[in-house]
Formats: sequence, C-alpha cells, structure tokens
Amino acid sequence: MKIIVCVKEVMDPDAVNNYAVAGRLEIGADGKSLTQTAIPKLMNGYDEQAIEAALRLRDAGVDFTLTVISAGNEPDKMLKHAAALGAQEIIAINIDPGELDHHSVATLLAAQIETSGGADLILCGRQASDDDQGVVPALVAESLGMPVVTVARAVELEGEKLRVTRVTADGDEVVEVACPAVVTISNEIGDPRYPTASAKVKARRVKPTVVTPADLNVDESQLHPRVMLTKQFVPEVQGNCEFLQGEPAEVADQLIQRLKADSIL
Amino acid sequence: MAENAIVVCTWSAGRDGLPEGAEEILHIGRNLAGALGKDLNWLILGPLPQTASALAGNYGVAHLQHVEDAKLDPAGSDACVEAIAAYWAEHDPGTLIVHQTGEARVVAPRLAGRLGKAVVMNGISIEAVGNNYQVTASAYGGDTRVIYEVGGGSILSFIANAAVPEPGSGEAVAPESLTLDLSGVEERVKVVERASFDGPRLDDAEIIVSGGRGLGSADNYKLIEELAAALGGLAGASRPIVDDGWVDSSHQVGLTGRITRPNLYVAVGISGASQHMAGCSAAGTIVAINRDPDAAIFQYARYGIQGDALEILPELVRAAGAR
Repeated sequence: MKIIVCVKEVMDPDAVNNYAVAGRLEIGADGKSLTQTAIPKLMNGYDEQAIEAALRLRDAGVDFTLTVISAGNEPDKMLKHAAALGAQEIIAINIDPGELDHHSVATLLAAQIETSGGADLILCGRQASDDDQGVVPALVAESLGMPVVTVARAVELEGEKLRVTRVTADGDEVVEVACPAVVTISNEIGDPRYPTASAKVKARRVKPTVVTPADLNVDESQLHPRVMLTKQFVPEVQGNCEFLQGEPAEVADQLIQRLKADSIL
Repeated sequence: MAENAIVVCTWSAGRDGLPEGAEEILHIGRNLAGALGKDLNWLILGPLPQTASALAGNYGVAHLQHVEDAKLDPAGSDACVEAIAAYWAEHDPGTLIVHQTGEARVVAPRLAGRLGKAVVMNGISIEAVGNNYQVTASAYGGDTRVIYEVGGGSILSFIANAAVPEPGSGEAVAPESLTLDLSGVEERVKVVERASFDGPRLDDAEIIVSGGRGLGSADNYKLIEELAAALGGLAGASRPIVDDGWVDSSHQVGLTGRITRPNLYVAVGISGASQHMAGCSAAGTIVAINRDPDAAIFQYARYGIQGDALEILPELVRAAGAR
C-alpha cells in the first residue's frame, strides 16, 4: 500500500510566541509577514505527528511505501528529516508559497498525488501552526473524491478499512472508513520520534524529486488565490494585573474577598 | 427573495435544542446583512429546534429555511456537504456563515472544495469592503491576528467567542420547508463508538479552574478539581497536561480544545501560551497563580498570585469553602 504525508514548513510557533509575549514580534514592511530571521523555520509540528502516525502503522506491521510531499521554496532540509524518519520518497513541489492560498496548495498536492498514481492513505497535520486554518486536507480530499477524517489521536488499519480514534469536544469518538482516505492527525497522538544518527547521515544523500506546477499540468489560472492575506498584527492584551502579596492563607483570603467585592463570586 | 442573501447555516442541534454557537453567528450575520442592505437567511439542516422561530425573529432573519431529512438526523459530513451544495445551486448565497464546531471544520472546507469557493476558518470579525469581505482571524495560536480578503460567495467560519450575542426583539419567523435530494448520500465515515462525555461542559461554565504543568504532577490535578468544586465551577486544563495524559482532552481549554467564556477563569501553573489564551481570553476576569513572575499569563490576569500552587490551592479551597 502507499501512504502519502503532506508537510508544510512554518516559523517555529514557540519562538513566535516568545517574541509576541515579549512585545517584540516584528511585522514586515508589507504589513503581513513575520520577518525576524532569528525565528527558525521547521516542519509544522502536527505534520511531524502525521509522519509519526504513518511510522506507527509500520510498527504495527503494515507494509507500505511512504512518500512525503511539500509545496514551497526550499523544503529540502525538512524533507531530508522525513527521509531520515523512514520516507522512501520525498517530493518538493517548487513554488513560492507567498503566492498561494489554501486552494492552490491543495490543487498542487492533489495533482501531484494523482499524477503519481494516487494513494491508499493520505495523512496530514490537523492544521499548520502558522495560520491554523486546517483546510488543506479537506480540500485535497474533496479534490480527489476521498473521505476525510479529522483530528485523530490513533489510526489503525484492519484490512482495507481504517479505524480512527478522533478527539472531539465530548471525548474520543471511533470511526471507520474505507481506503483511500485522508486523515488529519492531532497533537494527542504524542511526541514524534527522532531519526537515528545513521538514518540522518544516510538521508543527507537523498535528494528530493523536484516538480513544478507545469509538470503537474496545473496552470496559473488554477493557482489564482481566492483568499488574500492583507494584514497581520499582534493583538493587544489588557495588562493591569494586581499582584496579591502575603502568605498563602492571606493571599487566598484576599483573593476570595476581592472576587466577592467585584460581584464575581 | 432578495438576491445573494447572507446565509447562516447550522446543523446538529445541541442539548438545549439549539445548535452550538447559533446565536453568535446570527449576531454576526445580522450585522453583516444590515451593513450590506441584504437579507439574512437561516438555513437549518436536520431537526428544527423549538426555539428557532422566536430566535430568528430576535435576529431579524428574513427566511428561516429548514431541511428535514433522515440523512440529516444526525447529520454526517457527506450529507451536510451535499445538502448545502444543493442549496447553493438554487439560492446562491452572498456568503455562508457557520459556527466553528469540530464538524464545521470538516464541512466548511469540503464545501469550499466542492464548490470552488473561498473558505476562512477561525474568524473573529468581518467587515464588508466594496464587493469583498475582510475577515479578521486568529493565527499562530492567537499570537497574531490576520486579515483575509475574500470575494462574495465565500464560506466563513467563526469561533465561539467571536461575538457576544445581542438579541433584539422581533416577531417569530415561520419556518419554510425546503426539500433537497439527498437520496444518493451514503456516509463514507461510519461512527462505531460515539463520544460518551455528557457531563457539564466547559463551554457553558460560569467558573473554570484550569491547571497546567506548573502543578508538577498528575496527582496534584485533584487540587484543581477541589477548587473548581469549592467555587461551583468546572475543572479545565492546558494542552501540555492533556498531551501528557494527566487528564482527558474533554478538559482542554485552548485553540485546539474548548473555547470558553466564563465569568471567572482561574489559571494555575499555566504559562499563558497564546494557544491556551485563545480558549479563555474572553473570560470576564482571569486570575493567575504561577511561580514565575514573568509568566505571560499575568499579562492577561486581573489578579495575580506569584507562588507555589501546591501551597496556595489548599488555602484557596478553604477560603472558597468558607465564603
């Protein structure tokens, strides 16, 4: 069987958070890009967990080839990490991500998957940690006519059928769906594994297959964005915290009194 | 019927008979339709909530459109997508607004893919600019806001605390029954074990006490539960301790968990990462207890206590019990 994982490169969300909290997050002259070069770029964490979900199927004895695809400028480093983790094939769709919206990314990913003979299972992160939109997997699924199951904490394969445990507001839900299907993976799956040192060395020599939109018979008009990012800014927070001082018993009494005086309790 | 009405779409009625977030998106829809001089229509898929007619009146709904079909009770995502796509072909909405539930996170982008329409999730507010819409949405787990511009006929999903509903008072609106052909729909994803949680929900809680890694260990989470009980509220959690398995994910507050709007939110041993704050920053009053005086959570808090949660929590339980 063939499993494809779609991955995206993002700015490290923890670093973005640190700068934002410190009030030092810089927005570029275009009014929308995060420009700090000190913020590292890395594979979207949920996508790394999608690779982990594939590797756990392999651990469970499922026999498949693993292809990892990304659309973007220079995803080599990220894709080599995927190769070190056990991807047999890494594919870079070469395009400037700044010109794309989610529809155009999904169009490219779906075209690549279709041109290369389809897939039995497509795994994606539940969302990218930069824009948090989480729409590309469903757009890919719709484009390929596959069902999509979102926010999974576990994926098992029983014959041709997937058994997926989903995280919902009301607790876990278990669903079944036939392959081929798209499944998105949530952080609840747990920490992804690290590649071994020898696998990393080997992966250095692996070159991604580079394809262009033209190779995929996708023309300009199909990539025209429907959603335009026009601005990005850091929201203001209130910042009028009153610190209560004293021994634990004193601050506890003070707090309850304040909350009562404010008619909150 | 006016051309290109703003359409609010709901399905899967909640426990009180009303779909989660219905009032919030009716509020957003009413304001948008008003600004554009367009009709606001409310499309309900599946069973008609008892209060729908009265509520439609309170939000100035022009047409309360209702689709009753066995395949929409309960509504799977294949049936929802099929139904809205069929509706779209006939009614061509100016824009379609949904509340961002877990199901909406599947239905909205699938529908966008099916129809070739723009889709924006995590919406907080919207403005009409000429023939386009500017949607402000949350990004980077709440660290930033982005403004997306989309054309008419887009599919927009708004998060729970995007609006505080302000119902007006209007005459009840009689439902209009629509028939859409869903005979060809066979749900491809089959639920074999339903989520079983049916206790009180964080979304509805007036008081929430949440714990994070600063509690030190899973055992200490019981102090959070004790304080929540003493205050008459519910216990919540940050994502890291859910990831670590200290509590199950139904307790998780944040962008990838529950988006809450309590009167009082007590955050204990929680650093205040933006993805957590996205789920509680709409609280009336935030109290933070943290060992680190520089923790981001204090920036959001009205009252702060710097110190060891394990010493302070038992005293708070006592003081709350004695009030």
